[in-house]
Amino acid sequence: MSIELPLDEEQRDALQELLNISMGQAANSLAQLIETKIDISIPKISAVTPTELYSLLFETQNALYTRQSFLGDIHGEVMSVLSRRGLVEVATLMDYDEPLSKEDTQEIILELCNILAGACLAGLSEQLELTTNLNMPTLFQPDKTNFDELQWQHSLVMEVQFVITVSSFSMRVVFCLDDESLKRMKNTLDELLG
Amino acid sequence: MFEQLVDKLPVGIGIVDESFNVVYLNEFFLDRLPQELRNDFKQKPINILFHGQEKFLKRRLKSVFVLQHPSFSYWEQRPHIFPFKSSRPITGEETQMYQNMEILPIKDKKSGDRFACIFLQDVTAQASYFRTQQKLSEALKKEHAAQVKLIRKLDQAQSQLIQAEKMASTGQLAAGIAHEINNPIGFVAANLDTLSQYATHLIAICNGVHERLEDLNEDIKDQLEALYSTHHYELLKEDIAELIEESSDGLARVKDIVQNLKSFSLQTAEGIQTIEVCTLCNQLISLISAQYGKPQYKFDCALEKIEIMGDPGPLKQALMNVMINAAQAINDKGFIKLTVIEKGDTVVFKILDSGCGIPQNNLKRIFEPFFTTKPEGQGQGLGLSVAYTAIEKHQGKISISSKEGKGTVVEITIPKFITSTQSVEEDLADAE
Repeated sequence: MSIELPLDEEQRDALQELLNISMGQAANSLAQLIETKIDISIPKISAVTPTELYSLLFETQNALYTRQSFLGDIHGEVMSVLSRRGLVEVATLMDYDEPLSKEDTQEIILELCNILAGACLAGLSEQLELTTNLNMPTLFQPDKTNFDELQWQHSLVMEVQFVITVSSFSMRVVFCLDDESLKRMKNTLDELLG
Repeated sequence: MFEQLVDKLPVGIGIVDESFNVVYLNEFFLDRLPQELRNDFKQKPINILFHGQEKFLKRRLKSVFVLQHPSFSYWEQRPHIFPFKSSRPITGEETQMYQNMEILPIKDKKSGDRFACIFLQDVTAQASYFRTQQKLSEALKKEHAAQVKLIRKLDQAQSQLIQAEKMASTGQLAAGIAHEINNPIGFVAANLDTLSQYATHLIAICNGVHERLEDLNEDIKDQLEALYSTHHYELLKEDIAELIEESSDGLARVKDIVQNLKSFSLQTAEGIQTIEVCTLCNQLISLISAQYGKPQYKFDCALEKIEIMGDPGPLKQALMNVMINAAQAINDKGFIKLTVIEKGDTVVFKILDSGCGIPQNNLKRIFEPFFTTKPEGQGQGLGLSVAYTAIEKHQGKISISSKEGKGTVVEITIPKFITSTQSVEEDLADAE
């Protein structure tokens, strides 16, 4: 990423640590619900332009996408990228009957995103002592041209990957914050470090 | 007051405890419960009260209790969670209610007990609207596809028309030139005829003089003999008749070709008329053989005369295009045989050549406009597609079978009488 991170090193380390904890909690929640082991990657923190965000989302090929906005003390959007591979096995773990209809698949990915994004956000908010409310997730089909037309210059992005080992299913959750929320989070981080 | 407000809200609100037993239902839910259950719903499992998607509901409730995090469900994926009727039982087009559901985890502040709060939204109107829109958009898509197809067809027809137009103007040009050539041919032929007579006379005079040589005195005899020999009289006498005969033969051939060209040139507004097929075929062969000299041409017809009704322009063009293809398929040596057979109410033209043939995978594309295997600039790939259209207009059929390296047979079947002239015009209108 070519853009300089809007956080200093201390803030970054603190956020990284908070993310590690909250993402771990999220993975635990899902693991508990579907009774299987879940691996998580180390969360990545970066700043991106709209075009970079687009390529970030499109790293996974043949994927499914959802988005979900959150409001409260900090505002932003969570985008999830889910692999199609292994989805059927996850559906079985979630107690769905085969064969999956198109609607079943949509429902499953929306629910998965809701669980993971919700758990991540809940964990992060709790540790930063902020209140956030997640809105309902919707299916999303990122379009290159739309990304080029986005109004913002750059955004803070937190990215983490969840892998369900038994079914080779993987899912990336990407948090994006708007400028004002970034300021707010920086202040909160400073207070915590204070 | 709050209780009243919650009761009157246009959304369903229900609260269940950790064993999924109902703690509270607002009026939205109560209105839709069977009469006998209305006063007796508390502490009953929610999945017993509302049959339908109990497995799904339990799963979502479990998820909310375990994760302490809201869960959502949309009508698009799961339209009817609770078995409720549409809010418009009389006029509504939908019979079942479309629902969006949200389940929130809540906690009793005093006791610390955990509950799940179910919000249910009636989105039948939106769903119904959305589905109508979707149907509309699908219909539009279909119509669009049909139009694209039609436009493609029109494009093809247009390119064929352009080609036909080109052929017609080339034909007119040829007819014009033919007419122009006819005049000089006329007087050259007449002059040649006179010249031939004059030559006969001249030779007769010379012969007469030659015979009388002995009667003349030695001096004049010698002079005359020298004159005969310097001008190679013996050779000249034999050659002159031959030369003139050859020239008039050549001229006759030129005349023939011009005549054929004239009668074969395409006239655009000919319309349906009687066509004599055998003459047409002979003209065709002499025209093509003038241009393509390598193949041997054979014409075979059991009858002397076959008359059909048709539009001569397109029909000639179709036969010509097929014949040209046959001629071009022969590189060095070979033959082209045109057979005409009368078969009941139809006439069959069979064009057989011993040329290079058509590869199997090209065979199904040969009638496509612009499909050609010739190098760029040597063919537009319109010949057979134009032929196809012309034959179709005559309610005929064209079929091709070919073997690579062996040759090709094209069979064109045309009814002698077009059932009604109107249909031809309709076809033309279709093409436009």
